[in-house]
Amino acid sequence: MRDRRRSRRPAALLVAATLAFGTAACGSGSGSAGSDDPNTLEVWTRSNPDAAATYDRVFAAFTKKTGIKIDYQPVINFDQQLQSRASTKDLPDVMINDTALMGSYQSQGLLEPIDPATMAGGHQITDKSWSSTVGIDGKHYGIPYSRQAQTLMIRTDWLKKLGLKAPTTWQEMLSVAKAFATEDPDGDGKADTYGMVAPGSAQNGYAAWWGASFLWQGGAEIIEPDGRGTYRPAMDSAAAVNTVTWMKNNLFCGDNGVTQPGALTAITSTATNFQDGNAGMYMTGPYNIVTFDQTLGKDKYEVTPAPAGPAGGDVLADGENVYFGAKTGKTKQEQALAAFLISPEGQKIAMTSVDGHQPVVRIPVNSTLDAAKVRGDARWSVVQKAYEDASQQFPNAPDFAPIKQDTADALNSIFTYCGGDVRSQLGELNETLAGDLKDQDLLK
Amino acid sequence: MTAPVTTPAARRASGVFSVFSAFNVFSKKAVVPWLFLAPGLLLALVFKFWPMAKGIWLSFFDVRPFLGDQWIGLDNYTRVLTDHRFQDAIGHTLILGLGQSLGAILLGFVLALLLEGQARSLKIIRTAVFLPAVTATAVVGELWRLMYYPTSDGLLNSGLHLLGFGPVQFLDNPGIALYSTMAMGIWIWAPYNMVIILAGLAGVDRTLYEAAAMDGVSLWQRLRYVTLPAIRPALGIVLTLAAIRGLRVFTEVYVLTGGGPAGSTEVWMTRAYTLGFTRNDIGGASAASVVLLCVTLLLTVTVNYFRKRGDVR
Repeated sequence: MRDRRRSRRPAALLVAATLAFGTAACGSGSGSAGSDDPNTLEVWTRSNPDAAATYDRVFAAFTKKTGIKIDYQPVINFDQQLQSRASTKDLPDVMINDTALMGSYQSQGLLEPIDPATMAGGHQITDKSWSSTVGIDGKHYGIPYSRQAQTLMIRTDWLKKLGLKAPTTWQEMLSVAKAFATEDPDGDGKADTYGMVAPGSAQNGYAAWWGASFLWQGGAEIIEPDGRGTYRPAMDSAAAVNTVTWMKNNLFCGDNGVTQPGALTAITSTATNFQDGNAGMYMTGPYNIVTFDQTLGKDKYEVTPAPAGPAGGDVLADGENVYFGAKTGKTKQEQALAAFLISPEGQKIAMTSVDGHQPVVRIPVNSTLDAAKVRGDARWSVVQKAYEDASQQFPNAPDFAPIKQDTADALNSIFTYCGGDVRSQLGELNETLAGDLKDQDLLK
Repeated sequence: MTAPVTTPAARRASGVFSVFSAFNVFSKKAVVPWLFLAPGLLLALVFKFWPMAKGIWLSFFDVRPFLGDQWIGLDNYTRVLTDHRFQDAIGHTLILGLGQSLGAILLGFVLALLLEGQARSLKIIRTAVFLPAVTATAVVGELWRLMYYPTSDGLLNSGLHLLGFGPVQFLDNPGIALYSTMAMGIWIWAPYNMVIILAGLAGVDRTLYEAAAMDGVSLWQRLRYVTLPAIRPALGIVLTLAAIRGLRVFTEVYVLTGGGPAGSTEVWMTRAYTLGFTRNDIGGASAASVVLLCVTLLLTVTVNYFRKRGDVR
């Protein structure tokens, strides 16, 4: 029996080898047909089908104008997909994705550098916006496309019913939240309302994303540049300790109902209490305005500047950049697309909503446009003002992904264990952040 | 796998004349079965073995596709194994894997005993009970999220409320979250085990039960000395499956808690996922997955060894 099995082994190997060659041939043959055509650009955005419908209009207008075709792929789990494409060394030609990911992509060599001076229409983008696409080596690696800043969405009908005003300070926000939770603002006789929504899970770094505005308002930073191209972790500062302690004591470990139940495991897609009508405040990005208008109703809530903390009213600003994939060999066509995307025409198409689909440009990067005017909606001027006057981005040069994730892990843990010592927990976080910076050779 | 028939003469010849044996290898008879296997092998190769080999290969590199991967030897492994969050995850994985597997086997056994039989009503109930096993875990997760809703509006909490207990933070309390996840896991996997054990129960010789009844045994004695020995093979399969599946638990945790709160439900695979796709450390994530693969392999082989030894006895 044994030698017969042995005699069949070569046959098995032969079949396996044939299969391997066969698949290798298939692998190199398929998929490259579209991307080899110099007149077709493969474009990826991190969009759900709703936003993708708006992108479709933008790209259709571009193709009509230039004749360059777009192979458009809306991808929801963008980074997972991008990693697998990177491993085949065949990147999409153009990507539109979060500003905070630039450092991460650049550190992996995924991006083509960009020269703002040669970018058609680049002068219509403000210096503030351009400065947010400078990489660690001083070169630009992205073209600003859309910007946004967080604002406070608040139920006006609830305020009116309880005779309250929209809060302008943390303390006022806290008392409004308590009133929303305890004074039955929806008038159904049940204690089923909550003060504010907090996506406090560490998953995908949400706790850090949502908590960043509070950190800025409390005068804290996550990491600080030291002016020589390196950074130092700053989460052990007195401002950080005070801010995080305030958040913990008042929002998570204080009175019940200040934040929605389940806040510690909530991510933005599960924290739907504001649109469901059982939470009264939500500090979030303006991309939610379209959703809230549809689910809650335009007349039920308003968009207000975020309440100020001890160090001011700065909120987290973020948005999307246009990135060029490395080594695609289609720079000219890519530049044509980018020029269209930042032009007044391209931005306007992306800012308007047709058939109730979500616009994909929030605050235009093109300084000749005004968000409120283009949309005919005064609420957008609140967002634009917040972005221009009182906002701060995550540092864009370093690979911020691990820093954001570690910060989120620590914040989530601090908010979970009410008996813990904030100062020592933030001290630990600071050491972890120092390790992250050291991994990138960015530690002072 | 049934082997093609070869005559004894041919077999002898292949041992003596190597030239003939080479010819024999390419003869129609030897190749045909492989051709039939080819589609399956092809699929396994492309979607299983090749990615697996690549994963093992990448675990020795600092993976940067566009800057050139750097060989760093066992660095990824040292980093993963010394990371305190991975160490915490080991504990959670073991508790969750063991609890979920044993719970699901126990519940599956009880369900099988209750629902064994030919009656039409039993068939309907069995189908209903089996539904969780064929429902997408993401859907189940969403369902349990609603059931666990931490106010008296939530299904479970409204029940507790009626009994006079305050709302329990099933998912937001770091001391309970892991066990809440476990409960959902048991709910998903028990019906699956039930079906295998039911098949085992169907093969139990009825006369043994009758003989036992005449001897006047208690219910417990009947279970212990008749039923359990008779369904040994079925239990062996269920245990092997549990060993394979138990430690690589991912979806249940990912959809229900995402590893939170405060990392209290973080298991090996969610940690590896975060490392790979949030922190873009593909090398580290590959190393973590390889470690899990080795442990799972070891566990499966051990379970199988004990099963076979038991069968021989």
